[in-house]
Amino acid sequence: MFSIHSTEQLLKAIALASAVLSVLVCLWYIVRRPHLNRVTKSMLLLGLGAFPLIVSLTGNIASFEYTLSRPFCGSCHVMGPYLRDAEDPKSNSLAAMHSRNHKFGETSCYTCHADYQMFGAITTKQNGMKHLFKYLTEYASTGPDGEGGPTIHLYKPFQSGACMQCHSATAKKWVETHGDSAEAIRSGEMNCIDCHNEVHPLALSRRPKLTKGGVQ
Amino acid sequence: MKHEMAKKMVLFSVIGTIVAMIFMASSILFPHPLLLVLAMSIGQGIAIFALALYLLAVALDLQSSGGVYIPAEESPAIEEPPPAEGTGPPAT
Repeated sequence: MFSIHSTEQLLKAIALASAVLSVLVCLWYIVRRPHLNRVTKSMLLLGLGAFPLIVSLTGNIASFEYTLSRPFCGSCHVMGPYLRDAEDPKSNSLAAMHSRNHKFGETSCYTCHADYQMFGAITTKQNGMKHLFKYLTEYASTGPDGEGGPTIHLYKPFQSGACMQCHSATAKKWVETHGDSAEAIRSGEMNCIDCHNEVHPLALSRRPKLTKGGVQ
Repeated sequence: MKHEMAKKMVLFSVIGTIVAMIFMASSILFPHPLLLVLAMSIGQGIAIFALALYLLAVALDLQSSGGVYIPAEESPAIEEPPPAEGTGPPAT
């Protein structure tokens, strides 16, 4: 039912337990209607103040952690093809190969698509809110994989900085294999996905009009 | 009067907290994007409002009692009306 194997699950358990305690205190007040004496006020301060605060803190952290995970990104139906490809053990797309990485595979969507900058987490979450708004207004009534909806595209061209979090652009082997392009890639004139463009092939095949370079 | 008003405010804040807890707990159990956003905005908003209402009620209650602590057994739910003339205890 609810087993604890990670910090996120522990936080969720604490949040749920605190929510239950808070509701119990509230129900006790509604049923018993005790006088507003010191004991009642202290109990209510726990039920209306302390426990909800714990729920809010632990719940927010746990929820934020969950929003980084691949299942969360795939929970909107338009992401179905992307998710299926990423989770396909036989797929050789970049998304699938990175999702099989044991270091960050479970958060592969966020790892590659989050803004790689000082306030990247904040701007990425702002974009997430935009995703939700667009989903509700433009994609909610589309087909099982988002057929009939507008083309899905990135808000800005994919930056190679996301790749370079792990793939060093100064390693000797990398410089040798990338030859004359190395400097152009490092400076941002060229993008990794200009050549390594098998990122989300299943989704691209469903939307044949798409072109590379800022659109996936 | 203020005491009754405080009790009503506490009741509203208790109901508000229950609603907020249901929002937040459901977002933890079923973490769908829309539910998460609702829990983090509306749910927490209701919880904060409920707590503020409760603190206001406590302040009102303290004001009505003049800041004097009333133990549970002494705090009357309804004040007894003064005895009618001629029905009081016999004069000694």
